[in-house]
Amino acid sequence: MKKIFVLLTFIIGFSAFSFTEKDSISVFTFKRIEMMEDFDCDACGCSASGGSMGFSSMLNNNFVGLRYFKQSYTSRDGIFANSPWIDENFNTIQAWARIPVTEKIQISALVPYHFHERQLTAGTQSIEGLGDITVMGLYTIYETKKDSTVFTHKVNIGGGVKIPTGQFKEINNLGTINQSFQLGTGSWDFPLVSEYVIKHKNLGLNTTLNYIFKTENSKNYQYGDQFNYAGTFFYLFDANKFQIVPQAGIAGEVYQTNIQHGLDVPNTAGDILFGKFGIEAGKDKFSIGVNAMLPISQNLSNGNMEANYRWSINLNYTL
Amino acid sequence: MKNILYKAFAIAALSISLISCSNDDSENISGNGKITLKFDNAFGANDLILNTQGNTTSNNEVLKISLVKYIVSNVVFTKADGSTYVYPKSKSYFIADEATAAGQQFQLSDIPAGDYTKVKFGIGVDEEQWKLGAAGQGDFLAQADDAGMMWSWAAGYKFFALEGNFTSPTVTAATPFMIHTGKTGTDYNYTEVTLDLPTKALVRTDITPAIHIITDLSKVIDGPNKIKLSDNNMGGMGAMIMGGANLPIITQNINTMFRVDHVHND
Repeated sequence: MKKIFVLLTFIIGFSAFSFTEKDSISVFTFKRIEMMEDFDCDACGCSASGGSMGFSSMLNNNFVGLRYFKQSYTSRDGIFANSPWIDENFNTIQAWARIPVTEKIQISALVPYHFHERQLTAGTQSIEGLGDITVMGLYTIYETKKDSTVFTHKVNIGGGVKIPTGQFKEINNLGTINQSFQLGTGSWDFPLVSEYVIKHKNLGLNTTLNYIFKTENSKNYQYGDQFNYAGTFFYLFDANKFQIVPQAGIAGEVYQTNIQHGLDVPNTAGDILFGKFGIEAGKDKFSIGVNAMLPISQNLSNGNMEANYRWSINLNYTL
Repeated sequence: MKNILYKAFAIAALSISLISCSNDDSENISGNGKITLKFDNAFGANDLILNTQGNTTSNNEVLKISLVKYIVSNVVFTKADGSTYVYPKSKSYFIADEATAAGQQFQLSDIPAGDYTKVKFGIGVDEEQWKLGAAGQGDFLAQADDAGMMWSWAAGYKFFALEGNFTSPTVTAATPFMIHTGKTGTDYNYTEVTLDLPTKALVRTDITPAIHIITDLSKVIDGPNKIKLSDNNMGGMGAMIMGGANLPIITQNINTMFRVDHVHND
């Protein structure tokens, strides 16, 4: 049972946070967000399950994981009705680690590596490199202590900093619809995250709300603040030493307008709502998960940009 | 473990303080900078593609355009407070040409740093300048001549040229057209356009704003005034509109065909 719960928490965490952050508008933002989400996920999963279930031993465990995720967008390469639509593919490999500090406090770090490409009319453009590293602290403010209750609840909040370790190049934004074809925002950004998990027997619902405050970078460019929300149902199947957790839900992102030299950059605000589904499987210290997100509705870059899909695969190991 | 926590907070605190320092943007604005004027030719909502793209007017005439050139002149920038900077006349004449890279954008230099909200320019060469005589034209006379934007000195500059083929419900075979504006015996046909900038152009020593202007060529014959090429197809030899009563009304149309799509402050 303990393991199951741990797994569950893990999974929940992942599923809940894993994808929410990717915005079509700001790639970096995504990354950051992701990081944060991952954080949240990790944190939520680990701490929540362990803590609430009374598996205090789990709290002292460290986790490491790797995740690959892919985001596919199509955007208009120009400002005219007959401007061609081009494909943009964002790929990220992300390493993360979670270190419990106390029973209720954890620290998380996310290190993304990006390799993005887009097929501009003028030719394919690629960028590759380290993204923005996020470090966050998480705190469990409420957790149902009794195993016997019909519903168990857990509430986590957290905050942190996204460090501009990813390169921001002005030239990448010049004359293109997508203002987020970058490795990083170039700015110090500050995520606030929250998560609520309610469970009844093997069924659970994980809801998350994140807000990322973004600041102006050294090139006087400031990405718009971002708000993410997600709700994910999950169910735990336990087959002896093997656990499988399918999950489904929605995830949304809202982006504020970007600012350059103190002036609004047109067509950079937007929002998108995804449907998401995935499955996680765990055995012993390993778990593996696959997630996919498909847009339900979107309004990105005033309609000049469309998210097609996102998917990810992750592998985690309990140290 | 607690050390890690403290470090995390320290990093957060440090970064916040760094940010608060770097945000003092009340820069003193001084010196000179540059502005790029980009002229992007379009037909209606579509980008203009020379030769191959059929462009349909409200009169159901389909134009395939092979040449677009126009003289851009007398550029004036206006700040939010209403004060203006008049770009020196000696270097304020340009020839926009869809067929060349050099004809699609012009960089203007030595512009006083400031936040500009409007741009004004002329299409054609103003009468005052023309009256200076051939000797008063400087290098621009030769430049215009090379570009085919002169008839003769006496006849003057071509201000705007649009050429290609067209078909219509009554002219089913592809038939050439040419629209050239310039002075006539009765009208001078120079026109000036003032455009608001949707985003302020921040001219600084280290920021060169690019003002992206869209020129909607559909307006030339399908603007406030409607002109049918079919009606000007004299003897089936082609629609050649280079004078007469059509030029003033085409000039009125030309005055409406520009807009600023966006401004980059990079």
